[in-house]
Amino acid sequence: MFPSIGEKRPKMPVFTVEDCPNCGTKTKRAFKIGDYVFKEGGECAKCHSKTMISMIFAELIQVK
Amino acid sequence: MVLDIWSSLFGAPSGDFSSTVIWILSFVILTAVSFLWAPRIQSMMVLNDVKKNLQKLTVLKDKSKTEALDYLTTTCKASKEVQPRLEQTLEYFTIMPVELDPSGIVGKIEHVTRLQDDRIRDEIRRLAPQADKVQVSVAQNILEVATSLNMVFKIVRHFFIMGQKTKSIYVLIQLQMIMPIIIQEADALISAIDAFKAAQPIGDGLGPMVAGRFMLGRDPIEVERETVYTKSEYKGRNLLVMKAEGPMGTVGRPHIGLEKLVQDKTNNVSSIIMIDAALKLEGENTGEIAEGVGAAIGGIGVEKYRIEAVAVNAKIPLYAVVVKQSLIDAISVMRKEIAEASDKAVAVVQRIIEEKTKLGDTIVIIGVGNTLGVAQ
Repeated sequence: MFPSIGEKRPKMPVFTVEDCPNCGTKTKRAFKIGDYVFKEGGECAKCHSKTMISMIFAELIQVK
Repeated sequence: MVLDIWSSLFGAPSGDFSSTVIWILSFVILTAVSFLWAPRIQSMMVLNDVKKNLQKLTVLKDKSKTEALDYLTTTCKASKEVQPRLEQTLEYFTIMPVELDPSGIVGKIEHVTRLQDDRIRDEIRRLAPQADKVQVSVAQNILEVATSLNMVFKIVRHFFIMGQKTKSIYVLIQLQMIMPIIIQEADALISAIDAFKAAQPIGDGLGPMVAGRFMLGRDPIEVERETVYTKSEYKGRNLLVMKAEGPMGTVGRPHIGLEKLVQDKTNNVSSIIMIDAALKLEGENTGEIAEGVGAAIGGIGVEKYRIEAVAVNAKIPLYAVVVKQSLIDAISVMRKEIAEASDKAVAVVQRIIEEKTKLGDTIVIIGVGNTLGVAQ
């Protein structure tokens, strides 16, 4: 049996999500080379604690 | 009289004798041609169709080779004269053990595939001595894509030329029937290269990502080559959480890691929970979570066999949590739906721990998959 191969994907922008373990703020930004999940991120804009990269994903942006 | 009947039956213009004769003659010739030459005409059409797809495969194969060369010279700082060696590496082959006497074949397959893996990795290190561990693993992943596409291209070309030579419609039609799937898979492989080059997590990295959540804040211990685990606690249970060592692009050796953890009697393992990405069927949703029992691990079967053997010998239940995705999603940059499913998968694992184990039990949690772009 052949499983689903899936549809050919369009070029999707990749984002990095940084979580602040202190205040729970999530920040989404464009992916940068060198990012990886569970890497220490930048400073939290709200509480200035060190953030951690929790997700890296590709997302299709719908143009309205 | 005959012409009149013919005309009334088949609609040729009546009354004009010469045009009716021409019409009948062309009908007879066309019928004869279609009877005598139909298979040949069909062969030509199929050949043409397969040829177009073969040209597309050639483009994809060449692109993968160029990408591999580019990554080695640009990122891994290999010398410009690396191309002949790279071409040679793409031609590496693995002779699978004989199956006439199946006894012990799993060990033999593991030996040969491990040798192949080591050889390609050594070759990359020789070509690019300055590359770090992550770059070597990425180069290996890209080379695997290039090697697969090279092999697919060669097999399709073989059957195409064979069909051309023999003019056998049966060979060609089989090739034509399978071509759309081959092209889709080749497209999926090519789309994986972008993720590999940027060392971004791929859909298959969902298992390591879920395991990584349970490992946060703990010091990873190396249990086997490119495989790490941490010790932690959850609601009075002891957790031994294992995954491949990230953020390298590797799947590690979870089967050997599990053997070591179970054989260590101080651990007294009572349950095993495996999390993996699973290929979905058409109609299923990407990111859908399913629970089950058994060893959730893909590959050639060696790892699955050894994990099952460990579980059976020690009478340890094996629980499986999978996240559904298509082949393209599994080897391309992780989609948002899959990344978000990791939270739900963590909750499912926690529920299994609470429902299926007792206080004081030791549970091994294994995040299965390629851990590229996912640390611990």
